[in-house]
Amino acid sequence: MAENELTGSEKKAVKQEVLIQLIVFRLGSEEYGIRIEQVKEVTVTPEVARMPKTPAFVKGIANLRGDIIAVIDLEERFGLRRAGGALPELSFTMAVEANDYTIGIIVREVPQPLSVPVSAIDKAPEFIQDMNIHDKYIEGIARVEGRIIIVLDMLKLLTPTEIMQLQPKAASSPRAARRKA
Amino acid sequence: MKSREQEYREIFMAEALEYYDAMSRHISELEKNPADAPALNELFRLMHNLKANARAMGYADIGEVAHRMETIFGLIRDKEKTFSGSMVPVLFTGVDKIGEMIRAVGESRELPSVATLVNNLDLLVKGEEPVLGEEEEVDADEDANRKLELSDLVYIQIKKLDHLLNLVGELIIDRDRILTLSQEIGSPALQTAATHLFRIADELQYSVMDARLVNVGSLFNKFPRVVRDVATAEQKDVELTISGEDIQIDRNILQIITDALLHLVRNAIGHGIETPEDRVKAGKPAQGKLALSAQTERDDVLIQVTDDGKGIDVESVRRKAVERGLVSAEAAGLLDPGAVRAFLFEPGFSMAKEVTEISGRGVGLDVVKLAIDSLGGQLRVESVLGQGTTFTLVLPTSIAVKGALLFELEESSYAIPLMHTDLVVALWPDDLHVVGGMLLAHVFGDNIPVVPLRALLHGSEDGPLPAANKEDITGRQNIIIVNYNNRRLGLIVDRFLRQQDIVIKPMSKPLDMIDLFGGVTLLGNGQVCLVLDVPALTRLFLAKRP
Repeated sequence: MAENELTGSEKKAVKQEVLIQLIVFRLGSEEYGIRIEQVKEVTVTPEVARMPKTPAFVKGIANLRGDIIAVIDLEERFGLRRAGGALPELSFTMAVEANDYTIGIIVREVPQPLSVPVSAIDKAPEFIQDMNIHDKYIEGIARVEGRIIIVLDMLKLLTPTEIMQLQPKAASSPRAARRKA
Repeated sequence: MKSREQEYREIFMAEALEYYDAMSRHISELEKNPADAPALNELFRLMHNLKANARAMGYADIGEVAHRMETIFGLIRDKEKTFSGSMVPVLFTGVDKIGEMIRAVGESRELPSVATLVNNLDLLVKGEEPVLGEEEEVDADEDANRKLELSDLVYIQIKKLDHLLNLVGELIIDRDRILTLSQEIGSPALQTAATHLFRIADELQYSVMDARLVNVGSLFNKFPRVVRDVATAEQKDVELTISGEDIQIDRNILQIITDALLHLVRNAIGHGIETPEDRVKAGKPAQGKLALSAQTERDDVLIQVTDDGKGIDVESVRRKAVERGLVSAEAAGLLDPGAVRAFLFEPGFSMAKEVTEISGRGVGLDVVKLAIDSLGGQLRVESVLGQGTTFTLVLPTSIAVKGALLFELEESSYAIPLMHTDLVVALWPDDLHVVGGMLLAHVFGDNIPVVPLRALLHGSEDGPLPAANKEDITGRQNIIIVNYNNRRLGLIVDRFLRQQDIVIKPMSKPLDMIDLFGGVTLLGNGQVCLVLDVPALTRLFLAKRP
């Protein structure tokens, strides 16, 4: 889907501009965006219970209207935390829908909706893609009135193995329990 | 509460009325097309089922009529007779009489006499002409005052009950929340309403749980055939006894243990019970005994599979466990037979063919164990060499609510299912000893390894736990002793909170990848509380012990 839009913008033949709606939020000093249809709701961060055996950027689990969801901190995940920039007392959580589950993403400020013409989104250069990650989760870079917004593809970012970095499973699996003879 | 017998009768009634409706329909079809094979087959089947049910319930007359009708429909089906002539009114009368008798059962009236009908049916079977009386000729009149009735029972998809149960689970969580809030706010009116809500929700929960209960017999009764088939294939002579069929349990739990029970029964016949010759040689009766039984114990249901076969050879299991590196030779020598038998449930243990042959057991027992674990139940095995083996499945009656112990660790609340909790103790450092880098507590004559839960949950990802050091332990230690697969383990926690019934919600993705937690529950104050999975925790400890 993304590919089609990008080739469309490259041709620049489209006169009637197609707009896409983004939810824009700040991580570190940059602005990021997610397509609005991937965001279920935005709320003041509820009480988060820490969960052992998860990577540090997984803040824990929270009760969001009866759904228990994992809450993650993308600043920490991307290594964007400014010096001494712990999360403020009052933060916000975007409930984002991945393929078959919902996950919470903590942000510092209230995320804002923004309409962006498709032509304003350029494909991200290869080299800024995180080398460690196989799926390319940066959909593109939007330039709007002097702002630069990194558009993330949540479906690619939020695969279970990607989030969990696949580390905790082995420790307590039955296979690992068998001692080396 | 209704008596069991009355419940059976209602079920009989509902089925019988359904059969009767279907019979009336099919016999009318048959009248239009006397060679209608599907209708004939159905009539034959319906008569057969009705006969069996009626006889089981002790309604001999219904059984007699249905039996004869079945015979006649069988003859028509096999083209030995045709549905024509005087047979037609007699069979119609037969169906009507069946309806009449079923209604009489429903109204607890005396059943009408069926002597003439039975006589006529007998004559038909013999190929003689029936004696047609008034009954067969006044069809029209009877039609006029025939009553139409709907069954008192509703068949419902288990899926719908599952949904209902999930909703009730949510309701219970909100109920506790509202009750807590009402106490905080302190408005008497709100508190009264909350208390009322509490009671109603409680009753609703038990009603839904009750609606999901089925008799263990509904599963047990499939086993006589299984046992017969397996015994024939294995050339064993086995007598099966079944008891406790009317113990009730959640339908989904019964579903989940179906394969496990099948497995245990097959194993008992295949590997437990010896061939008749071997049994005679061993001084036992040639016929082996296998028993399936169910009983309730407190809130749990115990299902046992007992055979009088050759039993489990603890010594060969012990040797095998050492060979497979599950335990060191020195440690193995100290284990009691119960702990040794627990190795049978180790994943992979059963994979070795030799073990199966030597010990006679072990094919896929880990699978059985996993099924029971998933229900939060326990699997136990007792065996006397040469005398037989008993497997005991300890199952919760219902999956909705579980008793749990709540405790605090590093300012977070956790729950641990009572099913896996043996006891809770507070020990002083003097009561704990360091043996081989591991803390040991001597509790009620048993040496139990103890580990700070903090180290298990928050410790480094790789490598064993740091060796225990007496100096690190100061003050009173709150210890929960958990038990999984006959292994006891003490967990040091910060603070005990309370015991409470909890509704466990499955862990949502992607966090379900961490198997240390069996799920989450919401506490009355809205807090999210992780539920520890004792089997996974025990495995983690075994993998990481210093």
